[in-house]
Amino acid sequence: MSENRWSFPDLGLGVGLRTPHYAHILSEKPDIGFFEVLTENYLDTGGRPLYLLDQIAELYPMVMHGVSMSIGSTDPIDFDYLAKVKALAARTGALWISDHICWTGVLGRNTHDLLPLPYTEESLKHSVERIKVVQDYLDRPLVLENPSTYLEFSASDMPEWEWVARMAEEADCGLLFDVNNVYVSAYNHGFDPVEYIDAIPGDRVCQYHLAGHTNKGTHIIDTHNDHVLDPVWELFGHTIRHVGLRATLLEWDADIPPFEIVHQEVLKADDWRRQEVANVA
Amino acid sequence: MSPELERLQRWMQEVVVHPGTVEEAVASPAAKGEIPADRLGEIVLPSETMTSSERIGVYHGMYLMRMEEALETDYPVIRYHLGDVAFSHLVEAYVQRYPSRSYTLNRLGDHLPQFFLDEPEWPQAAFLHDLARLELAMTQVFDEQESPVLSAEELEAVPPDAWENARLEPTAAFRLLGFRYSVIPHLVAFHEDRPSPTPRRRAAWAALYRRDYSVLRLDLSRAEHDLLKALAGGTPLGEALAVAAQSQKSSRQRAQIFKWFRTWIAEGLFTSIDA
Repeated sequence: MSENRWSFPDLGLGVGLRTPHYAHILSEKPDIGFFEVLTENYLDTGGRPLYLLDQIAELYPMVMHGVSMSIGSTDPIDFDYLAKVKALAARTGALWISDHICWTGVLGRNTHDLLPLPYTEESLKHSVERIKVVQDYLDRPLVLENPSTYLEFSASDMPEWEWVARMAEEADCGLLFDVNNVYVSAYNHGFDPVEYIDAIPGDRVCQYHLAGHTNKGTHIIDTHNDHVLDPVWELFGHTIRHVGLRATLLEWDADIPPFEIVHQEVLKADDWRRQEVANVA
Repeated sequence: MSPELERLQRWMQEVVVHPGTVEEAVASPAAKGEIPADRLGEIVLPSETMTSSERIGVYHGMYLMRMEEALETDYPVIRYHLGDVAFSHLVEAYVQRYPSRSYTLNRLGDHLPQFFLDEPEWPQAAFLHDLARLELAMTQVFDEQESPVLSAEELEAVPPDAWENARLEPTAAFRLLGFRYSVIPHLVAFHEDRPSPTPRRRAAWAALYRRDYSVLRLDLSRAEHDLLKALAGGTPLGEALAVAAQSQKSSRQRAQIFKWFRTWIAEGLFTSIDA
């Protein structure tokens, strides 16, 4: 167990900032560690979303989480997009910038899905080169989230966890470790989630994600539309024993309930965190 | 560059965005141009519970749902007017012609007015073109940069002899619209949860603007629209008002012009005056 190598602070418990909660947050000022903003929601607006974001950023620590960096794509890097990301980070004082280990489109198109990569030497080299370019441009470490995936490519010549660990080491980037995504992918592909967690270099983990999912029987979809399920909480406990305490965020993106319910859900993580602190003591 | 990775990504994208079934997508000329359909099982591993086709089908199935969700956010009145089935059909056709090329889904619907011009045979195309223009303008006004509003004090500070050649500049969050179809009743019906009216060909004009970060609308007459268009386009105040006065027959109508002007200033449609 250790801190992350950049000494990004453990911000405690946070939730994803979502439009239906703006009014509650500004009027009630809930006691919460931080908010994570969906980067793309604020890049092209000068209206109400940005006006409210500015106010919330005055009150709480912020981190940014994007869905369009397309770090694994074979299309050229979009520097116009990166310029806007960098400007938003400066505006909000975001402590770190995260995105996903995925690609979202090629040939100039964007499917707006987090599409899976084959876990090959070729895709690893390609992604590492791009991460380095992005980090140089942003002038800060990029933090990347392990994906939830619904298929495996036969071309993969290493397990996902090995690819992710090597990517982080070779690109010298951070990891946003999504515990629910590990559970979802483990279910879909039949691997042991604990083996995945144990292979992750803890000093590169800057943040955790937790979320609900939907079990379709044959596979699980990462829907972010419900409470975190017990097996995911168990994996979260294992993760903090292996990695340590990090800023922990609950994502709830569909069928969004009132803020208090989302807040109560992430507060459950406190029991696991306290248990870990007690074990260490 | 990574040639195998490039090919795999081109192939997967072709499959994911194809409007047919996943089997049709894999067998489509665009996908087969990258990887033959009979090699699917060699590219995507089956799981214990799903075939290769079903697994890539998860991504394929979610694509149109995501596009529809995004367009429904920007065009709620069109969706309300058309209903679920016709709107889904529209989304499917639209994203084939105008797929997202932006990092944000907020730009996905930018070409919907143009789509109805491209497809004049689409049911109610001319009406939907006008309604799409209205809804797109509302989105643009919502997202525009905030501008300072021209105050009454700034206006009063303009010397009398400078009024003739003074030019007004509208705020960034201002859009002036003219319609061939009467689309405002459809917007009202949506907000009041009443049945969407039958489209009616009747000219209408409106200005959209923003105050306190809310999008507002002024319904205009043709004469109001023409004057506001001249002012927003930078025509000197004296010339614009003289043209407007000529179009009004009675002195009572001409007096209305100054009432309009006061309303527009009070509503904050302009950001500055260059006198």
